[in-house]
Amino acid sequence: MTPVNKTMVYCNRYTNNLKYLCTAILLLLLLSANRPYAPNAVFSIKSGSISFRSDAPLELIRAQSTELRGKIDTDKKLFAFVIKMGSFNGFNSPMQKEHFNENYLESSKYPDASFSGKIIEDIDFLKSGTYTVRAKGILNVHGVGQERIIKCGLVVKNGQLNINAAFTVLLADHNITIPKVVHEKLASEIKVEVKAEMVTQ
Amino acid sequence: MRYTSSLLLLICCCTALTTYAQQESIPGTVSFTPEDNGQPARIQSLFRNHDGYLFAGTNTGLFRFNGSNFTPVLFKDSAINNTVTAIFEDKSQQMWVGFANGAIATRTNNRLRLFTPEEGTPAQSITGFTQDGGGHLWFATNGEGIYYRYGTHLYNIDTADGLSDTHVHQLVATPTGEVLAATDQGINICSVNGSAKTIRVLTTANGLPDNLVTCIVPAGNNQYWIGMQDKGYCLYDHRSGTFSRSAANWNYGQINALLFMPSGNLWMATAEKGLLRLATSSASLLPPVVVYEGIRPASGLLIDNEGNFWLHNGDRLLRTNGEKLSLLPVLPAALMPSVHAILIDRQNHCWAGTDMAILRYNLSNADAPPVRYPIPSLTSKTDITSLYEDNRGHIWIGTMGRGVFILNPRNGSCRSLRDDPMLINSSVFSITGRDSTICISGLEGAAVLEAGASSYRCINYTSIPGIGSSIVYSVYKDSRNRTWFATDGKGITVLDKGKYTNYDEHSGLKNNVVYSVTEDRKGHIWFSTAKAGIYRFDGHSFINYAVADGLSSTNISDVKTDGAGNIVIISKKGLDILNPETGRFSYLGRGQGLGVVNTEDIGCVSRDTAGNIYFCTDKGMGRYSPVTGGIAPPRVIIENIRLFLDELGPGPDSLFSHDQNNLSFEFTGLCYSDPERLQYQYRLDGYDTTWISTRDRKAQFARLSPGSYRFRVRASLNNNFTTASEAVFSFVIKKPVWQRWWFILLVITTITALLYWYIKAREKHLRKLQQHEQEKIQFRFQVLRNQVNPHFLFNSFNTLISAIEDDPATAVAYVEQLSAFFRNIVNYRDKDIITLREEMTLLHTYTYLQQKRYGASLQLKVSLTEHELATIMIPPLTLQLLAENAVKHNALSVETPLQIELFIQNNSLIVRNNINPRITRQEGTGMGLTNIISRYHLLTDQQVRISKDEYFFVLSLPVIQQHA
Repeated sequence: MTPVNKTMVYCNRYTNNLKYLCTAILLLLLLSANRPYAPNAVFSIKSGSISFRSDAPLELIRAQSTELRGKIDTDKKLFAFVIKMGSFNGFNSPMQKEHFNENYLESSKYPDASFSGKIIEDIDFLKSGTYTVRAKGILNVHGVGQERIIKCGLVVKNGQLNINAAFTVLLADHNITIPKVVHEKLASEIKVEVKAEMVTQ
Repeated sequence: MRYTSSLLLLICCCTALTTYAQQESIPGTVSFTPEDNGQPARIQSLFRNHDGYLFAGTNTGLFRFNGSNFTPVLFKDSAINNTVTAIFEDKSQQMWVGFANGAIATRTNNRLRLFTPEEGTPAQSITGFTQDGGGHLWFATNGEGIYYRYGTHLYNIDTADGLSDTHVHQLVATPTGEVLAATDQGINICSVNGSAKTIRVLTTANGLPDNLVTCIVPAGNNQYWIGMQDKGYCLYDHRSGTFSRSAANWNYGQINALLFMPSGNLWMATAEKGLLRLATSSASLLPPVVVYEGIRPASGLLIDNEGNFWLHNGDRLLRTNGEKLSLLPVLPAALMPSVHAILIDRQNHCWAGTDMAILRYNLSNADAPPVRYPIPSLTSKTDITSLYEDNRGHIWIGTMGRGVFILNPRNGSCRSLRDDPMLINSSVFSITGRDSTICISGLEGAAVLEAGASSYRCINYTSIPGIGSSIVYSVYKDSRNRTWFATDGKGITVLDKGKYTNYDEHSGLKNNVVYSVTEDRKGHIWFSTAKAGIYRFDGHSFINYAVADGLSSTNISDVKTDGAGNIVIISKKGLDILNPETGRFSYLGRGQGLGVVNTEDIGCVSRDTAGNIYFCTDKGMGRYSPVTGGIAPPRVIIENIRLFLDELGPGPDSLFSHDQNNLSFEFTGLCYSDPERLQYQYRLDGYDTTWISTRDRKAQFARLSPGSYRFRVRASLNNNFTTASEAVFSFVIKKPVWQRWWFILLVITTITALLYWYIKAREKHLRKLQQHEQEKIQFRFQVLRNQVNPHFLFNSFNTLISAIEDDPATAVAYVEQLSAFFRNIVNYRDKDIITLREEMTLLHTYTYLQQKRYGASLQLKVSLTEHELATIMIPPLTLQLLAENAVKHNALSVETPLQIELFIQNNSLIVRNNINPRITRQEGTGMGLTNIISRYHLLTDQQVRISKDEYFFVLSLPVIQQHA
């Protein structure tokens, strides 16, 4: 690759990131706006948690955060979820948390991870029941957006929405490079679990 | 669950023939209905895998079809009873099955397993699969667009990504790495790289006749035939992105499936008119021909390895002969009895000789009425026996008794051939030729004509002795310019460079009536005989092919070479097609719906320039077209292996233990054209020495002894198995542990070791005994020596002298004691062991003798119980020797008397004496003590301990108990 091409890729990535960020923010703004014709169409997170787990041969790292924010527009089947990378706690040492935020995720540069897009299945959110839906959207971690389909379990009960989902994130997909020395301590595939309780406003 | 298949033989052409409909048809159409628990299952999808096995997806799951039976393919660990909507096999031969509920499964060892990606599977039905150039799997859904697998993730393409519609009917991967998707809104050309997708849409705006595209098939050269809902077909050029060759007026309904054949024919399964054929090789497209209307709405069209077409309408699965055998819509059956010769010319016209005229049909346009060319001077009694088209396009007509006529189709002029007197009013059997040479043969002999500018130069072969007979059925000019004469009764004669060579019964032929000659691609000559099958002549020798070699009949009327180089052998039983390279036969006969073939008239078989063979049957004119790649021979597959009652599946080769020795094999042969005809042979190498013939599809072997085995099974359509395909399963039954070399070796080693140890132990024991014996002898010697110790005797006698003088009574007692002492020594010296009491008696005698000398200076203190005296055993003379030693080494005086004490302590007999050393030491040999120690060592494990300090000398003897 010539330097010029490389620069172009970086520029592209930058604009892409910007684009994803903008979409996410716009979507959030859009969803938070009260629309008179569908007052109950938007569910927001009342309480939500996200945890991840790196199962490497030499070390098991776990961290979680309860600062998950997100909304689902059931009319348009749109959704957006955001988490502050700095809010993850757990880890095996404070040093590890520091490395996580400074070396790998560069949380000061890319403070948020987000997943926003559209739900594939058509389900009636007003009807109580247990559903499995797939959400197709852009998963943005470390400033790199990747299209993903994430399978979620949904429980609708008394107008409340319980979501749980489990998926994996490949570090390479999001341009998170691991030095060779920590290969044995950090898995290349991170398992993520999300749980959220959502209510209409 | 019980599954049966019902077989309905539908001779579709019957009605067509009686009503003389101008419609081409495929004879011998057979239909099958899959059943699930007695309920007919509805077919939704059809697939042929790499083995050539057919699979049918139905509303009750996936079925495997072997030509006569449907067998369900079940789930390994779950029971999903859902409609199978799509079946696919990827490049690694992994089968993928898509269901109406969006589930996807893979097939391994004939069991299905659900595909469960992290992303989940669709909620809408799966409509198709493909694999792109990069090996990525794609699948289409009806409502959720397209999914593809890239790395470990599953990605989706839907309208948000630019897909024109989410209802996708089919996916086709292009050689350039793109995927074409047939959707309700045109064709979508998708290419991806990870999650980056590029989608181009082609719709009516781009020239697509109808946006609702149902199917796409590759046409080669980066072109694709497109099937649509409303507007029929069109050709899509992927390089230029343009559409062409679309249907003009389409009224056959939706196209459900397309099949493009190497012959250039596009076959279409349509909703309203069944199976259609479109000849695409001509520049201007004629309307498609309705070939079989009996199945509607037709879909799932595919071709098997034998050239049969398969399609279904949901209820029925239908087999047709495809292109290999068809019944042409010319020459009605009613006309057949008067037809004795046919010819297919270079313009794709079919000529037929009937009463007094020849008829010309246009095979390209079956609707056009035939053109009649009357032949002058023929009566209704004159048969037209042969037709030939020369290189000028003239038609040569051979007759019975009226000679030969030449017809110019351009102006209809017809003249009688009179260039040779023999030909005038002759009876002609056949007219053949090569380039400008024309060969005429008949009752009067044969003539070869070379076309000149205005006339023919004629060479007459009548009554040539070299030929042998004047009745010549046919003449064949081969590629090496040799002329072959097939004679009646005189075999075959070849004229090569002016020399005649005749081959008949004397040369080894079994029959002298030869009808027809042909040549294969290697230049070998093949000819047919009236009663002995066919012969191959390779220039040196003849090879005969008869029923045992695979022929259906030995009464052969004609032999021809088809366009693929196969030898086509025509008999009353039908057409036998022999591949001269492999020696394998395939057959077209009653099972394919072939009627009674006219084998009476030599002229009723014709070959066109493309190599198709035409022939007459009671049902009309038939055409055989060689199958591209050849008709696959029956394939045999080991479907299941059972160990006792456990299913092992078709699995890889295996290793069994000695008690896993009851194996059964289930196998099947695949011959979709004629499954009833299959015969099997199997043998178990290592068990059977010959092949075992069976029609049963099972073989069982019980109580196999350990060894290596190879189960081989082969299937053939005839009795000739030498060219049959074979399936093999190798396995080893291991010997039991006790029969394996290492075990035997181990046992031998152990026995040798034990034997060695025993011998060694015995040797040691003997040595010990010997040593014991030696020591005993030594001891005795020692004792004897001591006994004759002159000092002891001298002392004893001195004591005795003084006693005699002082007290004769004591002297007598003393002598008695001395005598008793010596008697006891003599008594005990041969014994190994005596009681303590006996030893004590001896000791007391000795002490008595010594006390007479030393008086109170020698004291013996015995603290032993009666029981101890009776039960404790001791080697003889032990205590006496110790006492003697004590006397010998100590100075005895009244002031310091020598005290010898005897008592039991810690299970030891202690002999202790105080030490009062002599000033002049009497040197001992040391033999005494050593002897005692070694004698005890032989008798007991416990040690004799000696301790000596300033005051006492203590000897501790282990107590040996008397054995009960």
